[in-house]
Amino acid sequence: MKAFFTLVFILFSSTTFATEQAEEIFAQLTPSLYQIKLIDKASGEKSSIGSGFQISADGIIATNYHVISSYARHPEKYRIEYLDHQGNMAEVDLVSVDVINDLALVKRQVNNEMPYFKLSDKKPIKGEKLFALGNPHDLGMIVVPGTYNGLKKESFNERIHFTGSINSGMSGGPVVNKLEKVVGINVATSGNQIGFLVPHDKLVTLFNDYNKKAPTDIKQQMSAQLMANQDKLMSALINSNWQSKELASKALFPLIDVPFIRCWGDSNADKKDALILAAIASCSLDENTYLSSHFFTGSVEIEFRYMQAKNLSDNKFYHLYQRQIARASAGNRGGKDDISEFQCHDDLIKPASTANTSKEINNKSIFCTRAYKDFPGLFDVLYLGASIDRNQQALVSHFTIAGVSQENAMAFTAKFMEAVSWK
Amino acid sequence: MEVINKIPNIHTEAGIVGPSTDNELPEQQGEIIIEEITRNHKLLHRHRLNQAEVSIGRDYHNDIILSDPHICPQHLSLSFSNGQWQLNDKNSVNGTRLEKNNAVSQDANQQAINDGDVILIGKSQLRVIFKTHLVEDTIAFSPFESLIDFIRHPVAVFISIALFMLIAGNISYLNQPTELNLSQLLVSAFSMSLLFSLWPAGVALVSHLTKHDPRILAQLGISFTFFILLWLSDFLEEIISFNFASNSILTVTVSLLPIGLAFSLFWLNSYIGFHVSAKRRMIVAICITTLLFGGSYLNQYSKRPDFNPHPQYNSTIMAPSYLIAPSNNVDEFLKQSNALFEQANNAAKQD
Repeated sequence: MKAFFTLVFILFSSTTFATEQAEEIFAQLTPSLYQIKLIDKASGEKSSIGSGFQISADGIIATNYHVISSYARHPEKYRIEYLDHQGNMAEVDLVSVDVINDLALVKRQVNNEMPYFKLSDKKPIKGEKLFALGNPHDLGMIVVPGTYNGLKKESFNERIHFTGSINSGMSGGPVVNKLEKVVGINVATSGNQIGFLVPHDKLVTLFNDYNKKAPTDIKQQMSAQLMANQDKLMSALINSNWQSKELASKALFPLIDVPFIRCWGDSNADKKDALILAAIASCSLDENTYLSSHFFTGSVEIEFRYMQAKNLSDNKFYHLYQRQIARASAGNRGGKDDISEFQCHDDLIKPASTANTSKEINNKSIFCTRAYKDFPGLFDVLYLGASIDRNQQALVSHFTIAGVSQENAMAFTAKFMEAVSWK
Repeated sequence: MEVINKIPNIHTEAGIVGPSTDNELPEQQGEIIIEEITRNHKLLHRHRLNQAEVSIGRDYHNDIILSDPHICPQHLSLSFSNGQWQLNDKNSVNGTRLEKNNAVSQDANQQAINDGDVILIGKSQLRVIFKTHLVEDTIAFSPFESLIDFIRHPVAVFISIALFMLIAGNISYLNQPTELNLSQLLVSAFSMSLLFSLWPAGVALVSHLTKHDPRILAQLGISFTFFILLWLSDFLEEIISFNFASNSILTVTVSLLPIGLAFSLFWLNSYIGFHVSAKRRMIVAICITTLLFGGSYLNQYSKRPDFNPHPQYNSTIMAPSYLIAPSNNVDEFLKQSNALFEQANNAAKQD
């Protein structure tokens, strides 16, 4: 089952069964818990809410990046405020973010030393009971007991799989163990008691880095993080083993052997009246990076499609085939303020690796790219190869990668183009 | 000195050659041609009169009888004396006006008339022409004439429509994603050709309404021939965009072909349907072409979103038998793709 991630935004009412232990934990920790609000300066009303928790005596509060993303992208339009358990409100400053792990640090003014959450120094064990804290849907601070179920399988950027209800507004709230030490941060839900947490060590790293040297410019910090992450992802993809796999026993396509890329297959072999037999293999990275509510990056999608005409003239087959490739689009969302329009180029390409062999393929190859406006050096790329050398058969090879450097995009494209062929 | 003394009473305006009195008619007998014309100066009737006095009016005593109710029974007369025609209004109710060489018309009585003058009486117009009036040069048959003669032949018209239907049927066959039977194809081809025959029929109707010969067969033949040519140019464009990379100069050239064809079609439509000057025909053809292509461009332009998140690329592919260009290798493709990053960066900086 393909997990469907939604950032915690949807109402999901539940009765909380708080054990005595949970009550005790809640009572002790509540002074260090905050609701984090993003206030639209022009209207004076809140535009998004989340939770946060204090992690130092001098007023550093940890929350999710996606809670304060609007401020990070447009600091002139918003301000960030906290609301504590006594109903006090005040403005806070954004001091550091980790956009890849969806974390942010904000700082409040403190006059006296304050109690704060201690970060755990070891990972929980599978089955351990944990308590998620937060303010779902602006209903007030609650505590949700749940179970630690290890790290999410096949993830590129680690997430803890937490069995317990995490709801909209709890984003950025802490998850503590019985010793009241933070082991994770609420970040996402997949519905029905499946929640995801950012492991606490990501927060430890962010906090230590901040203590060593506070970033001067949040956008530059994000840019550097995105660049480093795509480097890590792309080198993992490019340097891994690419297995050659058969598609409908007619074509060969590369299967990138890394755990975080997952593949699915489909065909229309059961449809008797279809004019074209189609078999599809598609692979994708199951996670992406949230930059703002209309701008995601970090996605990877790869698709191979084999088609065979059934009682069709060559012309009609190619006519219908053209429709299949006419509407490729980006794998991520982005708007006018975030990205440029796509620039495209096409040509007829015969990969050298199989030229003059029985596997030889001749493609119409299309390459498109668009640039990020706020993060120079990052691009979304799209490639589409459509075979044009067989009268009744077609092979489409396609990928899109979001938020990648030119160098990595080109290296991946080169390897990809050479790896697709007829059988 | 000689010249001045010779026939001082004869009008010698440009385009009019004064008759030499020696071998002409006797002084008191003029020869005049009077044309009844429409307001658009289209000829209705032509009268050639060989007498010194010409009466014009509604009753049956007149030399020229006009049925216009705004004209008096005895409206005016033209008389010839001293080698000159004179207009005499017979106290008509609505008067007589004279339009001289496209100048502003003026009330006329006892006025001299020159060649080419137009007499306005009631709601009718009469043009006076002397026999010495110069006619325009003979227009030689253009090479199109033989082409049009060939195309307007019923067999040729039939063949071009049949060919058109064949192409229309083939296109709807190619576009249908499901199985299609023959009668469906026939119906779509037939309705397509009916739709397209509206254009030549419309042109023929307009030329009929403007008192020209409709020449419907010629219009049909020429229009369908050009519709077929336009489709062929589409096909050519497809082959080129399939074979050559998007930035090829050939793509641009071939995309101008339909504009040229459409212009030729409109020019020929007007050539067949209307007798107008070459300059006017050119202007009309250019205007319709501009309207058609400019309009469709404007339409596309207005629908274009401010920001398009989807890539716009050339996805034309055709069966291998249309493949004529050699293929490049991956390195060459990457080199050209590399240039796109710079373009994307520039696009990002622009807005």
